[in-house]
Amino acid sequence: MDTSVPELRRQALRIRRYILRLIKAGKAGHVGGALSAADLTAALFFAVMRMRPEQPDWPDRDRFVLSAGHKAMLLYAALAARGFIPEEVLDTYGSHGCKLPGHPDMHKLPGVEASTGALGHGLPLAVGMALGLRLSGRASRVFALMGDGEQAEGSIWEAAAAASHHKLSNLVGIVDCNGLQISGPTVEVMSYEPLHERWRAFGWEVRRIDGHDLPLVLRTLEAVPFHPDRPSLIVADTVKSRGVPFMEGKLEYHYWKPPAAELARAEQELEAAAEVPA
Amino acid sequence: MKRGDLVDPRKHFGDVVTALAEGRPELVVLSADSSSGSGLSGFKKRYPDRHLEFGIMEQGVIAIAAGMATTGKLPVVAAIAPFMTARPFEMVRNDLGYMRQNVKVVGRSGGLSYGDLGPTHQSIDDFALLRTIPGMTVFAPGDPVEITRAVEAALAHAGPVYIRIGSPPIPVVYDSPDQCTLALGKGTVVSQGSDVAMIATGAALPRAQAAAAALKAEGISVRLISMGCLKPLDEELVRAAARDLGRIVTVEEHYVSCGLGAAVATLLAGDRPVPMCMLGVPDRFPSSGPYEDVVRNVGLQPDQIAEAVRRFLR
Repeated sequence: MDTSVPELRRQALRIRRYILRLIKAGKAGHVGGALSAADLTAALFFAVMRMRPEQPDWPDRDRFVLSAGHKAMLLYAALAARGFIPEEVLDTYGSHGCKLPGHPDMHKLPGVEASTGALGHGLPLAVGMALGLRLSGRASRVFALMGDGEQAEGSIWEAAAAASHHKLSNLVGIVDCNGLQISGPTVEVMSYEPLHERWRAFGWEVRRIDGHDLPLVLRTLEAVPFHPDRPSLIVADTVKSRGVPFMEGKLEYHYWKPPAAELARAEQELEAAAEVPA
Repeated sequence: MKRGDLVDPRKHFGDVVTALAEGRPELVVLSADSSSGSGLSGFKKRYPDRHLEFGIMEQGVIAIAAGMATTGKLPVVAAIAPFMTARPFEMVRNDLGYMRQNVKVVGRSGGLSYGDLGPTHQSIDDFALLRTIPGMTVFAPGDPVEITRAVEAALAHAGPVYIRIGSPPIPVVYDSPDQCTLALGKGTVVSQGSDVAMIATGAALPRAQAAAAALKAEGISVRLISMGCLKPLDEELVRAAARDLGRIVTVEEHYVSCGLGAAVATLLAGDRPVPMCMLGVPDRFPSSGPYEDVVRNVGLQPDQIAEAVRRFLR
């Protein structure tokens, strides 16, 4: 598989296109945080994680846990891009009884490792997976993608303490730090900054990076574990709704019910802004 | 163990788990600073690599157990009952229920066991909370024989299970273990009777048995049923009691509004309503004090149960 940075850019664009396709089908969704983590997720799904789309329950696979379950469109887009599900399934998003609920259901789609949505569950689930895999002697790693607003959940910090206490070097936490949650800027709603220092104080080995600098994202993810006896944590500074210029950094696109004209504009701007080699 | 022997339920539970862990390498015990108080010190000593400590972290431990179960492990998590049910309820509902994970949650010192420690440590709403979760199994064994059966059934069942046990010593209620038919969805007729059915669960069982014995001496014949599994409910046993006896008394260390009595009433209201007398904790936070006194305060001592039955039959 081509894991070059230009290819990852192409895949990140594809994931963003799929996110807009999903919202077109479902007419509403948590678009801002899905788009902000698209570059991180492209690197995970197309370069870093060991996975077999044709055998989604392969026991030695790496696990991807979407702790910020409201970024469900991101997960669905990545699963379609990587070949776990046919892309046509994306067009069922939002319909009654579809396999793509507003928050992911592990029993409905291959490649969904946990039924998340209630915040603060994914990281402790990932801790359990990492413990279970290590006890079973498997080399699999677990990647948990969190939101920055989610950092206010106490259960995140319970899991953070447990992971370092049990020296889970097979666990990687990623915080998609897009700076905005539903009520406003995260630092104003409930600040956990300096976030990287808090994680470090909990015993994790931490890197803070630009979550859209794909060469850096790739280098950082390929360097895990950062420490042989500690869990790894990446604080990825990102931009809400990244990829669609008129939506970027704007709170109103955390959850979006797009009027048709605005969606058409988003599709156009996504293509126009894409820095993708032909 | 013979009838009337007093047994420490927590130690017995821990011994059963430790014995059943043999030949089950996937079985792991997760502790929220709670193993020693849950009778699991022996497990920890015998299987140190399969015993994982997390400290006082009940929400985290339930979710972590669910994550471990996704990798094929069989986690058993035991702690003080309210801290395994009310506190981490969303983890139990989503991570075990919705995710259908094979985790055994044990709420020990349940019911009014911690009379002296007060309402923060009493657990009289756990049946109600856990019963609402689709796919959840709920056991409340009423004597040591039933504890053995409940643990065996829980480990044999692939899915989330809750088991409530108490902490004060409990007597063996069965003349012989063979008499106990407790299994997933199955209760037990402890003794036959012709005037009224009494259905008891958990720590209320021996008191109900004592009440039935007192009533028998007065010529009131009670069919005593132990409902050691609250979900799925043994509908056949309940329907038969309603059909044969026409009056049902339920007894439980739980809020009457939403526990065993409510489950029985809900079932019978649909097709065979019969007069019922539901004994349990009324709609208030219970008192604090010695266990036996708190049980008396809510009307669940044998003489109080017997008196309630007499009034009910008048």
